[in-house]
Amino acid sequence: MADKSKLGYEFPVRILAVEKGKIAEFAMAVSQKDSPEKLNPIYADAGAAKKAGYPGIVIPPTFPTCLMFWTQGGLMGVVNSLGINLGRLLHGEEEYEYFGSVCADDVLTGKMRVADMYDKEKKDKPGKFMKFTVLETEMRNQRGELVLKARSTLLER
Amino acid sequence: MTVKFADVKTGDALPPYTTLPLTRTDLVRYAGASGDFNPLHHDNTFVNVFGMERVIAHGMLIMGIAGEAITAWIENKNLRKFNVRFAGMTEPADFNDLEGTSKRATITVTGRVTEKFEENGEKKIRCEIIAKDALDSVKLTGFFIAALS
Repeated sequence: MADKSKLGYEFPVRILAVEKGKIAEFAMAVSQKDSPEKLNPIYADAGAAKKAGYPGIVIPPTFPTCLMFWTQGGLMGVVNSLGINLGRLLHGEEEYEYFGSVCADDVLTGKMRVADMYDKEKKDKPGKFMKFTVLETEMRNQRGELVLKARSTLLER
Repeated sequence: MTVKFADVKTGDALPPYTTLPLTRTDLVRYAGASGDFNPLHHDNTFVNVFGMERVIAHGMLIMGIAGEAITAWIENKNLRKFNVRFAGMTEPADFNDLEGTSKRATITVTGRVTEKFEENGEKKIRCEIIAKDALDSVKLTGFFIAALS
């Protein structure tokens, strides 16, 4: 079960180069499209994205999740450093706040910390508790601008 | 067409968005795209150890689908906040019983504008959303805030 001494822990800095191909791949996965040509062109075509008012090919709203999984040992890195049992892990809640566009060729630097850890009694099983861990991540681009904040609530059933 | 603040009323519906039945291939595609290789989402021998019958979709895939639903209506650059609470698991359709299993794997995202307000010099709307399968089982609930001109 999650190790409570990790409250306040700051993970090593996570760096994600935002690649054009990765954006298209991600956009295809969430829209069930099998080729980039079928996507909303802001996710695949720099010219179309600029015409629509973006600095370049832009990321889909939930793309920031990649920062968690493609850096610092991915999910297992996070789970192991928190002492969470992978087979009991559930995702409770996710929130993004957007402060600026993130586009292809940007480099995101994410600082993630354990913002909260708490237990909640199960409604159907009195005396049994679910363990919650809240991770907060601030992401800045290569110019140091705060572009995103993410808040993930993980729980162990 | 761009949605304007003046044209949106509290109570207005987000245009409903429905997926194709999610398959294991969709889950694998999302695993590769996002980097979330938790075997819960592709390896039946893993989920069996934990007493589950079959793999389930990533919650974040359902949130990603909700993101598609939102940005089909509101421009990506207008989104300011997006929050979801995961409520239920989604099992993919089985090819050997498409008729019997497609409904549990077909996700529809709906929503309703609950508030119009001004903040930090921007005109904003708050819209509550819900994703359900075709059997009316809730997958996630949440809201988004968008700034409109």
